[in-house]
Amino acid sequence: MKFSFKINNSLKELEGFPNETLLHVLRNNNYTEVKCGCNEGECGSCTILLDGKPVNSCQVLAMSVQEKEITTVKGIGTLYTPHLLQKSFVEAGADQCGFCSPGMVLASYSLLKENPNPTREEILVALDGNLCRCTGYVKIVDAVEMTAQKLNATNSEMEQVCSNM
Amino acid sequence: MLHQNLEWFFPHKVEEAVKLIEQQGVILHGGGTRILKTSPKSIKGLVDVGNLHLNYIHHTDSKTSIGSAATYDDVIRYSTKTDRFPMLAKALSEAASTPLRNRITIGGSIKDFPIWSSLYAPLLALNAQIEIIDTHEKIISLEEYLESGVIKTKHLIKRIIIEDDSHLIGGVKRFVLIRFEYPLFTVAVALRAKHKIISEARIFMTGVKGRYKHFRRAEHFLIDKELSDDTIQQAENHFTPKFVSDYKYSAEYKEQTAKVFFTDLLHELKGTLK
Repeated sequence: MKFSFKINNSLKELEGFPNETLLHVLRNNNYTEVKCGCNEGECGSCTILLDGKPVNSCQVLAMSVQEKEITTVKGIGTLYTPHLLQKSFVEAGADQCGFCSPGMVLASYSLLKENPNPTREEILVALDGNLCRCTGYVKIVDAVEMTAQKLNATNSEMEQVCSNM
Repeated sequence: MLHQNLEWFFPHKVEEAVKLIEQQGVILHGGGTRILKTSPKSIKGLVDVGNLHLNYIHHTDSKTSIGSAATYDDVIRYSTKTDRFPMLAKALSEAASTPLRNRITIGGSIKDFPIWSSLYAPLLALNAQIEIIDTHEKIISLEEYLESGVIKTKHLIKRIIIEDDSHLIGGVKRFVLIRFEYPLFTVAVALRAKHKIISEARIFMTGVKGRYKHFRRAEHFLIDKELSDDTIQQAENHFTPKFVSDYKYSAEYKEQTAKVFFTDLLHELKGTLK
């Protein structure tokens, strides 16, 4: 059967079965940037944004979220035009094997959209559903902090430019 | 694994949904997290509640109504914004993880009542009511919902109702070794006092033998007393949770830990009692 979603701002029709999770429907239709880790909602590798909120796509039945807006990590930045957050992950050394990175980036993106100036504790809470076996989390939290600082600096620069106009 | 020919229904009226779940093997689908955890083959159809307009939180006539399709995250946000039922918000914000709290619905958690539930103890301590529809519509207390066995019947939960009570103070504690773990137990205490003398107490625990326990003896002991260190020490003797031993912990270990958690909670509340 066909499922229709708005994925990364484009309307898409994907093939799948009514008992399939969103994770499997996405991956079987070449959205392989959504990673399959534990398949039990524990590791967060399969995190996507559903109407802007992070969810474990392995814990969502695809049929129940048709017509909704789905954002994968490729929806916020690409290899050639990475998002500031993705750049910060590289700069901070926050990704090693990279398997958890799509989920980490999306969870962080959602946090920063809502709270542009999070504390380390708030970052930890926002990332509490994402496990990483390589980095020990410190660099990941550093990357999110670094992004927040850069975004805030950009915003204040913009404000300054606007006030001088 | 769920059946490949799973049938889906998307009703627009609660009455339609109730009729649909009368069929054998057809159940309600909210966030779907629990269904995917258990994935029973016996499920033939899922009735999605997404079009039933049950995802809301309203406050009218000194009561908060939480629609059954509201997620844990919705409740936490509402509580943070309004300062209502912080005890419930604390329990929910400690449950599961951020992405799961965006999916787990209040109604689904109430109907399923897993042994590790973080939701039930605070809701019972807050004396929450529940509106359900089966053959007809009714509002009952959450405790009655459990005690009378309604939970085991086929029905649709419409909303949870929590009355405003600015004189009620409460706290909740759960036992986990790491943050992201199913709690072994959750204990919730709600107290009402006048001039620091307790006039009402509600003490509940989940994760115990029999799934949940209402500690009426401990409640009775606390009435008409000030929450002094001495009272707290004595209250512990009236708080006797029973557990089942498992491969990790003995029943005795759990019982002693629960007692420590209970007295810790009373000590915390002592400072806030007016």
